[in-house]
Amino acid sequence: MKNLVLVIACISICATSCTSNSQREIQSEEKEPYLRWVGDIEFDAESDNSDFQLCYSDKDIRQYFNFSKGVQYKGEKPAIIQYFMENYQAVSSKKSGLLRIRFIVNCKGETGRFRIMSMNADYQPMDFEPQISNQILKLTKQMEGWLPIEMDQMDNMKLDYYQYLIFKIHNGKIIEIMP
Amino acid sequence: MKLYLAIIFSFISFLTLAQPNCNYFLHVGDSLKYEACKESENAQGFYQFSKEFQMVMDNALEIDSTYSYAYRAKSVAYLKSGDFLEWKRLIDLAVKYDPIGNLGYRASCRHQFFNDYGGAIVDIEKLSKMTHEDIGHSANGVYHLEVVRALCYRGLGNNDKAIEIIENQLASDDYLVGIYDYIHLGVLYLEAGEFEKAKSNFENQQDYNDLAENHFYMAKVLKAQSKMADAKIELENTITLYEKGYVMHDSYVYPADKIYWSMIEKEKEDLDQ
Repeated sequence: MKNLVLVIACISICATSCTSNSQREIQSEEKEPYLRWVGDIEFDAESDNSDFQLCYSDKDIRQYFNFSKGVQYKGEKPAIIQYFMENYQAVSSKKSGLLRIRFIVNCKGETGRFRIMSMNADYQPMDFEPQISNQILKLTKQMEGWLPIEMDQMDNMKLDYYQYLIFKIHNGKIIEIMP
Repeated sequence: MKLYLAIIFSFISFLTLAQPNCNYFLHVGDSLKYEACKESENAQGFYQFSKEFQMVMDNALEIDSTYSYAYRAKSVAYLKSGDFLEWKRLIDLAVKYDPIGNLGYRASCRHQFFNDYGGAIVDIEKLSKMTHEDIGHSANGVYHLEVVRALCYRGLGNNDKAIEIIENQLASDDYLVGIYDYIHLGVLYLEAGEFEKAKSNFENQQDYNDLAENHFYMAKVLKAQSKMADAKIELENTITLYEKGYVMHDSYVYPADKIYWSMIEKEKEDLDQ
């Protein structure tokens, strides 16, 4: 009988505890709508190339500006502009706005986990025609000049980092590229 | 001079990110904002991209949803990651609850990160109408907002207006010249074909904050005036400064009129022909 009481008591405590924990988790989820850092890109098995590997873990990915070296691309901005001028085919469109592609550059200069965001001139979400967005995404994926950020303070250790490109598009033409 | 400029630059940059003095809100009888402000002090030490930082600011906004500083503080990570949608939503709220304190900041970010020239001009001109005080500097402290406005007019193709604004700003009393002001004005004159005015500005830049860029564009002016030997000397000066790292720099974006090695190589080829 004593054992039965003990078992019931344990189950009750466990049930209460589990309930509290799950409630805490729910509260925690409601309270923490954030990943480690704003803008972190988690691996998506459905859309991301599994061949792309980070050199370190997700929690070690930095931002391109973290070491005040600016954008690290072979040939710098003129090379980026030239690449898109030579390869982007303007599309007939009445849409204008910004299209951002954000991605990760690993310590070998390889890229992956590309994500698209776009807006109109009023900062409202707007999708460009797939002929525009898919074309720019494909071209961005094919860029080969990204350089790893080297950390001077740690024997030029090469790091993984987030980078983005923003395309200012007017009627289907790329008129400016940022940053 | 460089040290002096660096100190000024750092000071202004620091000011733009400074946590408000919470006692101010007590002084004006706004205890709710005081509580929100005290809560936001708990973000000290957290990286502005981190969830901890964002959650502290969310807590501050739960106390007072009109606390503009928290919206602006939250917006920074979105700005720097190029998330124009969330950045704009947050910074608009900061502007809504404190337009004078945030319009200039929003304007300079629109210009610096998104090349939103029209939006930046509207913000700056609106701010000018709202205050008789100096309208202040860009978020990074590099430019006076009037110079930002000029660069935006240039972005829209109105170079005459840009020249007029910068000239007026340089002529205004007690104006502390920005570290790149003369380069931009010189390039505007170069593009307008007013070579003597362009040269004068590049000489001013050399005296004030000598960079590879002022020598590079000086070489272009001299080339346009068929003074090839002098142009080659200026290009050599460009290379010397470039190799020492004395160039226009912005950690986040490529600044307007910045030069790149490929531009120097092309200019060298042209002059050697």
